[in-house]
Amino acid sequence: MSDPEFMIDVRAVTKRFGDFTAVNDITLGVRAGEFITLLGPSGCGKTTLLRMLSGFETPDEGSIRIEGNDVTRLAPYRRNVNQVFQSYALFPHLSVRDNIAFGLRMQKVGDEETRRRVAEVVDLVALGGFEDRMPHQLSGGQRQRVALARAIVPKPAVLLLDEPLSALDAKLRRQMQVELKRLQKRLGMTFVFVTHDQEEALTMSDRVAVMNRGRVEQLGTATEIYHRPASGFVADFIGESNSLPAELLAREDAAVRVRLQGGLELRVPRAAWPADATRALVSVRPEKVCVSKRPIEGAENGFQAVIAEEIFQGALDHLVLRTDAGTVLSAVVANESAIMEALHEGDRVWCGLHFDDLVILPALA
Amino acid sequence: MQALPAADAENPHARRATPMGWWLLAPMLIWLALFVVAPLLILVVYSFCSRDDLGRVVFDFTWTNYARVFDDTYLKILARSVGYAALTTLICVAAGFPAGWFIARRPPAVRNRLLLLVMIPFWTSFLIRTYAWIAILKSEGLLNATLLSARVIPQPLELLYTPVAVVIGLVYAYLPFMILPVYGSAEKLDNALVEAAHDLGAGPLRAFSEVIIPLTWPGIAAGVLLVFVPAIGMFAITDLMGGAKVAMIGNVIQNQVFKARNLPFAAALGVVFTLLFVASYLALQWRGRRARA
Amino acid sequence: MKMLRSLLPLALAAAFGVATAGAAPKGGKLNLFGWSEYVPQAVIDGFTAETGVKVNYETYASGEEMLAKLLAGGGSYDLIQPPDYIAEALIKGGLLTPVDQAKLPHFGNLMPEYLHMPHDPEQKFTVPFMVGTVGIVVNTEKVTTPVNSYAELFTEAHKNRIVVLDDGRELVTAALYTQGKDLNAMTAENIAGTRPVLAAWFKLIKLFDSDSPKTALLNGDVDLGLVWCGEAAILHNEDKKFRYVLPKEGAHLFVDLLAIPKDARNVENAHLFIDYLLRAEVSKLVSDEFPYTNPNAAARKLLTPEQLANPASYPVTDRKLDTFRHIGDSGAAIDELITDLKNAN
Repeated sequence: MSDPEFMIDVRAVTKRFGDFTAVNDITLGVRAGEFITLLGPSGCGKTTLLRMLSGFETPDEGSIRIEGNDVTRLAPYRRNVNQVFQSYALFPHLSVRDNIAFGLRMQKVGDEETRRRVAEVVDLVALGGFEDRMPHQLSGGQRQRVALARAIVPKPAVLLLDEPLSALDAKLRRQMQVELKRLQKRLGMTFVFVTHDQEEALTMSDRVAVMNRGRVEQLGTATEIYHRPASGFVADFIGESNSLPAELLAREDAAVRVRLQGGLELRVPRAAWPADATRALVSVRPEKVCVSKRPIEGAENGFQAVIAEEIFQGALDHLVLRTDAGTVLSAVVANESAIMEALHEGDRVWCGLHFDDLVILPALA
Repeated sequence: MQALPAADAENPHARRATPMGWWLLAPMLIWLALFVVAPLLILVVYSFCSRDDLGRVVFDFTWTNYARVFDDTYLKILARSVGYAALTTLICVAAGFPAGWFIARRPPAVRNRLLLLVMIPFWTSFLIRTYAWIAILKSEGLLNATLLSARVIPQPLELLYTPVAVVIGLVYAYLPFMILPVYGSAEKLDNALVEAAHDLGAGPLRAFSEVIIPLTWPGIAAGVLLVFVPAIGMFAITDLMGGAKVAMIGNVIQNQVFKARNLPFAAALGVVFTLLFVASYLALQWRGRRARA
Repeated sequence: MKMLRSLLPLALAAAFGVATAGAAPKGGKLNLFGWSEYVPQAVIDGFTAETGVKVNYETYASGEEMLAKLLAGGGSYDLIQPPDYIAEALIKGGLLTPVDQAKLPHFGNLMPEYLHMPHDPEQKFTVPFMVGTVGIVVNTEKVTTPVNSYAELFTEAHKNRIVVLDDGRELVTAALYTQGKDLNAMTAENIAGTRPVLAAWFKLIKLFDSDSPKTALLNGDVDLGLVWCGEAAILHNEDKKFRYVLPKEGAHLFVDLLAIPKDARNVENAHLFIDYLLRAEVSKLVSDEFPYTNPNAAARKLLTPEQLANPASYPVTDRKLDTFRHIGDSGAAIDELITDLKNAN
């Protein structure tokens, strides 16, 4: 039954805690050597799904295969899977060396080999010289590396990472994101990474599974998820977006005319509009809203607006636009540079929206 | 990756004691001096004295009390006391550790209710609870009546006034002193550590011996001390449930004070008993250091 | 029985309240150091109601315990209840205040045979409170063979069915009786000579209990005992199947006394309380609750025929009865022997 292509094969898995359904009928395949991220707000079921992969929770329904073997009910210590815990969970009574060697000792690997492999991985995570420290003598970033080293040294088929970077400060975190991704490529190991930070997810992952209320809303590459969100939830959760309910006014040859909440009328590609629907959600990223003091050419939609608010964000400027029709949109533009014209609060501007940048989603129930 | 800054090995919160700190400690130090150090000194002094006709202490210097402590009779009693206390401690660890561990792993509301159940017996006098055990264990008692009517046994079990009854009584009396410290350590133990052990391939037994035992060791050690030391000196249970037949060191000391009126000999026994306590404490400390090393 | 007992203080207060109405209470206090379970609460309440003297009742479980606390205690006790041989030691040690019989109008109630005994030949320091014996109690439902002597008590057939007093001197005394020796001849040689006898007995004994040997008998854990007569009397009252016998080799007769320690602060109140206890009606109350042998002739007249017929309280006997004398350091030898024998089991 299992697809040999998949390292991890999750089929129709459901997990309930009392009345609460944490994971609701999820099917998911992860390829060998893939870096996949489970992304979603807290309570979306991503951690529960991870814990079912590590074996700390057992699915109520469905099955999980890893390397082709059914592990649905297999105890955690019998799985060829290791985890980096959010709290790191370093053994406080063991030195860095003994923490890292723990998994090898459990596998009864010989002393000589253990020494060699521990030295290797210590090198890999740049912890040389800290082998005899106790965990309480390490900084947060060092502990994180020990946890990582401890989990990869047994060479598991899959490494599970439960928000491993959430306790680090922003700078260290960005650095570790890069290092983790590099490490994963070098080891060729399958990584399942759990986070609620969409930026982290987009930076590191080969594919992202956006989760909400126990379901996978969308599974795809970072670009697909960002540019072609499959639902209003994904569009809102990933980056920022203007997602506005729209009402069908008239069908034309290649387009339909719709009125957005607030009153702005737009033309959207007819192919994108759901066949029988009279209502839908129109979503557009703020950076895709063209803003200029002059009329914009080439855009399928053009309209005028006033800059109601300007929020300075360093390299970018965030604008809140009130269109003449009354609809409020946000836009992000590169900050004043030699070739850009200055835009300020109260300015009257022209706006443009390209067909390609409009994402039409089913209306919210 | 770049070199990482050296971590500070010292506890950043440790500070030198200030004179103010000593003043704050003063009440406790005075209390200790008056009620621990002074009585111990009296005990040591008495242990080298002798008694007069009426049992009053005569202040001269003699080693005879210690010579008598190391007499066969009393060494045997001491050995037996240690044996009973060790057996009691063993059973208390075996029964108390799982209980303490179990309670610590419950949700807080359930946990508090279970802890309350552990502590409720303390609301009643210890003697009354011991008499309740007599009512349970006596030959026409609750236990025998139940077993007889269930036809589990053909004849009443002879439990009361036997060594078995003494051990039952000792375990009952001291079990909470094992459960509570174990609970204290277990409650502080992050469950993620146990999961990490399992995750790295440790089955239940390995996780228990490699992670759970070392990390709850302070609680176990405290429990062992809290059970073992008082159990050696217990005399009420041996009298009431053992029929005063199994003499333990506590009974001998009590007899020497109230029946034989030989305070110097009782003091010598007390000194040896205290040294035993110190020795077992040091042994546990040593074991704890070794476990950490 | 319980009902009755709880009504007693009320009845007493009523009775004596009427008798002494108008007499202004003197007040003050009395520190009584007595046996546990020997002075009924009703008696203490009655005394306080009549005199206004507040009684602090502190208790002990053996004469030796009393002695230990008295010697260590800094003299805060006003009235003690020593057994005869301890009183003898206290008198010899000059630790008692003489009792002024002129302050005891009811002293005449006492039977002469309990006065001028060897422990206090001049009758200067003590007043008899209760008298008793140590004898054998038998559950005749379980034991059908006659048991009239120590020899018949300690037989293989009674193995693990015997309770004895946890009191070395009583046990050595019993052994001395079987050897035909004087119970006060506590020489090292005589004590050592009882070892084989006691060693054989200890193998048969189920438990040692001085505080409440009746409990194990009532519970059915044992069927025979060597106990205080008062315990046997209570058993007999509970169930007539319990029979009390004085061993034919001889038995220990003890007299529990009232005495005033040398350092007593409330000597007047101590005399008041002694005389109160000597009153026939009060002494009868003690007998009602603790059925030992009452040495008070006037009180005996108030007892019911049933009380007087209790063989444990008032044994009809021609047996040899002896009292304990102060034996000094021999106590240590006895203690060592008993500890060693218990240890050997």
